[in-house]
Amino acid sequence: MTRTIVLMTILAVACLPAGGCGKDDSRGGGPAKGKTVVRFLEGPDNGGGWKEIVSRFEAAHPEIDVELVEGPASTNTREEMYTASFLSGDSTYDVICMDIIWVPKLAAQGWLLPLDDRLPPNEREKFLPGDIQGSIYEGRIYRVPMRSDAGMLYYRSDVVTTPPETFEDLVRLSREHQKPPGMWGFVFQAKQYEGLVCNFLEVLWGHGGDVFDGTGRVILDGPEAVRALTWMCGLVRDVSPEGVTTYQEEESRHVFHEGHALFMRNWPYAWTKAQEEGSPIRGKVGIVPMVHAPGKSSAATLGGWGFGIAKSAKNPDAAWKFISFATAEAQQKTLHLRNGAIPTRRSLFQDPEVLAESPHYPDLYKVLLAARPRPVHPRYPEISDAIQRHVSAALVGREAVEEALKHTAAEIRKIVGR
Amino acid sequence: MRHLYLLPAAILVFGILGLPLVLTVSRGSGHFAALFSDATLGSVALTTLAFAAVSVTLEMAIGLGFALLLQQTIRARGLFRAIALIPWALPTAVMAMSWRWIFNDVYGVANDMLLKVGLLHEPIAWLGRPGTAFFALVAADVWKTTPFVTIILLAGLQSVPRDLHEAMSVDGAGPVRRFFSLALPLLRPAMAVAVTFRMIQALGIFDLVWVLTGGGPADSTRTLAQYVYETLFRYLNLGYGAALTAAVVLGAFLLASGVGAAVRGKPVL
Repeated sequence: MTRTIVLMTILAVACLPAGGCGKDDSRGGGPAKGKTVVRFLEGPDNGGGWKEIVSRFEAAHPEIDVELVEGPASTNTREEMYTASFLSGDSTYDVICMDIIWVPKLAAQGWLLPLDDRLPPNEREKFLPGDIQGSIYEGRIYRVPMRSDAGMLYYRSDVVTTPPETFEDLVRLSREHQKPPGMWGFVFQAKQYEGLVCNFLEVLWGHGGDVFDGTGRVILDGPEAVRALTWMCGLVRDVSPEGVTTYQEEESRHVFHEGHALFMRNWPYAWTKAQEEGSPIRGKVGIVPMVHAPGKSSAATLGGWGFGIAKSAKNPDAAWKFISFATAEAQQKTLHLRNGAIPTRRSLFQDPEVLAESPHYPDLYKVLLAARPRPVHPRYPEISDAIQRHVSAALVGREAVEEALKHTAAEIRKIVGR
Repeated sequence: MRHLYLLPAAILVFGILGLPLVLTVSRGSGHFAALFSDATLGSVALTTLAFAAVSVTLEMAIGLGFALLLQQTIRARGLFRAIALIPWALPTAVMAMSWRWIFNDVYGVANDMLLKVGLLHEPIAWLGRPGTAFFALVAADVWKTTPFVTIILLAGLQSVPRDLHEAMSVDGAGPVRRFFSLALPLLRPAMAVAVTFRMIQALGIFDLVWVLTGGGPADSTRTLAQYVYETLFRYLNLGYGAALTAAVVLGAFLLASGVGAAVRGKPVL
C-alpha cells in the first residue's frame, strides 16, 4: 500500500511541469487608465536593449503604454503565437515583430496594414536594400526593418591567408588543410529544416541559378541548380563530416568553435561567440561573403526582423509612433550595443561607436549588401518544405540530383499554380 | 429520468470533446476527397504506422520482461520500481535533447561505446541517415515509454491470485508453464489497456520527433502529427488541416481500439 502511494506521488510530481503554465511577468500590472496600449511579442530581451528602448519611448510619449511581451526564443513558437492571435480575430498584438519570411504569408491573409504612406521611398533608401525588398509583398510595404541577418563564410585566418572566392577554391583549400576527423574542411547546416533552404539558396544563387525567374516561372530544374546541388552533395564525406546532415546553426558552430573545421557557413552571431574571452578561435577568424562560381557573384540569404502593424490594431497611429521610434538610428544603436543586434540602417555601419564595438562591420556590410530574400510568396512555407525534403534526400543519397530537383520544381509549380 | 444525474457530465463531455470534433469535421467537409490523392499523407502515414508497430511491439516485449522482474520478491524492490519509472517521468523535450547528443556523430556516447567495443570502425551520423534516424527515434521512444507499459503490466501481474500460483506449483507446473497457462491469459486485459494507450500515443507522436530530427533526413521520420501541425499552422490551410485532423483522430482511434481488442481477445466496446 505504501509503495503504491510512493509511486503515485512520483507520478503526480512528474506530471506537474506539463500542466504548469509559464509565468508572464512582462504583461503583469496592466496599463494605467486612459492610456493607449501598444503590445508586441519578441524573443527574450537578452541584454536589456528592448526594455531601455520601451522606457525611453514611454518617457517621450506618456500617453502610450508599450507592452513588450518576452516570448520564447524559438521563432517557430512565436510565429504560432502570432498566428493563433490572428486566427482568433482579437487584437492581442498591435505591433507584429516579424521574421522576413512571414511577410508574404501574413500580408496575403490580410492581417497586416500596408505602410506605403508612412514609409516613403526617401525613407526606405536609408535601410539596407535587401531588408526593404523582403518587406514588400505585391508592391506594398508591410514591414520596417529593425535587425538584419545574413549568411556568410567564416574562415580560419591563422591557417588560410587568402580566403576563397569560388566554390572550387573552398574545396581545394579544404582538402589541402583538413585532417579528418580532427579537422574538417567545411561545415554548414544540412539538417532537414529552414536553415537548409538558406544554405542551398546561397549555393544556388552563387551558381547564377534561382527558384523563380524574373517572370515567376519555376527554374529550379535548370542547369545552374543541377551544378549547385551536385557541388553540395559532393561536400559530404569529402570535406564535410557525414553528420553535417544533422547540423543546425549551433552544431556546426560547435565544430568550428572547437577548432575542428577550417570553414563554416553561418549567421553573424557566430562572430560574436568566436571573439568571446576564452574562445579557442579568438582572433583567428575572418569573414567573407559566401563563395561563388567564376563569373557569378556572391549571394547571402537574408534573415532579419522588423515591425508591422496588425490590421486589428486598436490604435494604428500609436503603433506607428512606436515603430518609427524603435527603428530610428539611436534605438537601433542601443539594440546593437546591448543585445548585439545587427542594424538595418546603412548609416550605422559607419558609426564610430558601432565600429568600436564591432570592428568587423565593414566586412559584414559587404555581406548584407549582397543579401537576398528567400522566394517571396504567400505559400513560401510549402515551397520551403519541398526544397528541404528533396535537397535533404539528395544529400543523404536517397535521390539523384537531377531527380530531386525535378521533383522539387514540379511540387513548387503545383503549389504556386493553385 | 433515472439517468438525469448524468446530464451535467454529458453536457461537459459533449461541450469539450464532441462539439469541437463536429465543428472540425464540418470545417473539413469538402476537403476529405483530397486526402486520397495526397502523396505526402501516404508517406507520413506509412512512417507513422511503421513507427507505432515497431516501437509498441518492442515496448510490450521489454515492458513485460521488466514487469516480471520487478514482481519478484527481491531486496529494495521499491527502489528498483522507482528507478524503472524515471525515463517516463522526464519531460519528452528534455530527454529528446539528451538523445540528440547521445546520437551526435562527433561527441555522441552511442558512437563512443560502439567504437570502443569494436562494433563500429568509424563513427556514424545516426540522425543523418534515413534508416538509422528511424531506428534512433524508435530507440528513444522505447527507452522513454517502456516504463509506462511496465507499470500497467506489473499491476496486472499483481492481480493474479497468489493461491492459483501455489495450486499450480503443487500440481507440478514449473515457472514457465505457470507463466504461459496462468499469468499470461489473466494479463490480457492489462496488456490490452497498455497496447491501446501506447498505440494512440505512438500514432500521434510529435514532440520527440520534433526535437530529435524535425522529420528528416529526406522526410524519413516525418509523422502524421507533424504534417497536421504544418498544414494548420505553417501553411495556414485550415480547411484541409481540419479534414486531416478528423481523419487522423478517427484512424488512430479505430486502429488502437482494434489492436487493443485483438490483444484482449474480445471487442473493447
